[in-house]
Amino acid sequence: MLSRSSIIHRRSTGGWILLCIVLVVFSFWTIFPIFWAVVTSFKFTGDAYDPTFIPWVQFKPTLQGWRFVLITAGERTFRSLRNSIVIAFFSSAAVLLLGSMAGYALARFVFRKWKNKDIAVWILSNRMFPPVAVLIPYFLIMRTLRLLDNPLSIIIAHTILNLPLGVWLMIDFFRDLPKDLDDAALIDGCSFVGAFFRIALPLVAPGLVAVFVLSFIFSWNEFIFVLVLGFNKSITIPITIAGALTTKGLEFWKVATMSLIGVIPVVLLATFISRFLIRGLTMGAIKE
Amino acid sequence: MILKPALHKKLVKWGFLLPCLAFMMLMAVFPLVWSLSLSFTKWLGTIMARPQWHGLKNFGDILFRDPRFWADFGFTVRFVVMAVGLELGIGLGLAHLLHEPFRGRGFFRVLYLIPMACPPIAVAFIWKMMVHPDVGIINSMISAVGLAKVKWTTSTIVAPFTIVMVDVWEWTPFMFLALLAAYQALPQEVYHAAAVDGASKGQMFRRITLPLISPLILTIVLIRIIDAFKLFELVFGITSAGPANSTEALSYYIYLTGIKWFDLGKGAAMSWIFLIILLSISMFLLSRFRRRD
Repeated sequence: MLSRSSIIHRRSTGGWILLCIVLVVFSFWTIFPIFWAVVTSFKFTGDAYDPTFIPWVQFKPTLQGWRFVLITAGERTFRSLRNSIVIAFFSSAAVLLLGSMAGYALARFVFRKWKNKDIAVWILSNRMFPPVAVLIPYFLIMRTLRLLDNPLSIIIAHTILNLPLGVWLMIDFFRDLPKDLDDAALIDGCSFVGAFFRIALPLVAPGLVAVFVLSFIFSWNEFIFVLVLGFNKSITIPITIAGALTTKGLEFWKVATMSLIGVIPVVLLATFISRFLIRGLTMGAIKE
Repeated sequence: MILKPALHKKLVKWGFLLPCLAFMMLMAVFPLVWSLSLSFTKWLGTIMARPQWHGLKNFGDILFRDPRFWADFGFTVRFVVMAVGLELGIGLGLAHLLHEPFRGRGFFRVLYLIPMACPPIAVAFIWKMMVHPDVGIINSMISAVGLAKVKWTTSTIVAPFTIVMVDVWEWTPFMFLALLAAYQALPQEVYHAAAVDGASKGQMFRRITLPLISPLILTIVLIRIIDAFKLFELVFGITSAGPANSTEALSYYIYLTGIKWFDLGKGAAMSWIFLIILLSISMFLLSRFRRRD
């Protein structure tokens, strides 16, 4: 690292100033909407439309918005929070189970009739199609199964959405393990299933965490399937955010507070697995 | 129970793969096939109990007699080209400027993850209040410096650019961080050799950096194009496809037709047209993934 910066591109003073300006401008642009949502969420209804930034100096801060969202409308908020957590948890668990098994099979065994690569690429192709393309059949299937407005239908949809990611990342993680390890386990009399659960899985634990958290974030953020499959009992946070609009026009303080409830958990999770976010979004094409 | 090792191995290998494949056949392939069969029928869900055979009429109606579909297609394509183009341009510029280590870079890397981690619908609503034409913070700041307010969401000319702007906010950091990772993987020796040979910075960028990272750029751009085509939440949240349908994305029209108006046959046909467009772009991307490793 040091050799690169010192030998190839020695930065001049002008270069440093340019770098600082770019960093400041881009960081301001990136963070301002979130900052603005935080500021607005602490404003009274009347102040929410004013261009004021500094609490106590420019406007009197209030917990009115947070109190409304968490207490007055708390039943709806906590119902959607609970649904978001349940749906993201179980769909990510399913992605983890199905994805790690398929990933292990594709990384460790040779498939002859259809090649490993063809199977893997076919699985990946499922990540490409747009959710709207299957909205109608999903609606009809779930209506037939009487699963409309049932979290299970959304868990199934989100599992399908994130499974290609799970399989592809797990193939990578298992490939990075030295094959000798499972071979040694097999020679010692371990079965294949035993080698998978006792040797391979524990060794890819960081990968499992990454797949679970990524899948959790994407499920938490997903909007269209919940919009179509859930109405009331199984609504998630994104739907409740969209619902903050309907009552009395655009009440800024309410929209800001509700949006932040959706934003904060996933941003914390994303910083926790920051090394894997880009890798997940590019299906493993970019490794940081 | 004692099995022959070869048989045991075969059982395990398929036993591990099949649950995933079976689940995908059941919940991804089957719905698509069903939707294909629906696309040849007329089925107005609100008044008809069953679908009726309609032949290729849905496709004919959409492709030749539905200007709204083509207007939406045009908007979606313009959106994808502008948004992905801007994201690539800014992202590449930033990556080029910031790829050398400096103090605190780790902090900025985490900071820039925020937009892409947020729920898109939350992004849409936060921006909706910021670009509000009367009381939004952006117009307040603009009029504070004495300029005319911009009709972010109320002008058919400006509104499409507003959607592009928000998408650029959300995904430029992704482009930047992905390209940054590509820069980190560049081989040092080549630059040393070029420096010894007296190559200028511009020459190094054109002759070494660009050729080495262009395959990765293409992969990232294709991923972004495919995801940008699925544009829905921003339109739903910020403009509700208005004004005068000027920001109606294809996926929004499909949602309206199939789910809101419950015209299941036409909706299914539209989704298949959309799917074919996206799959033809995806073929490029998938072949790149196949060639990897």
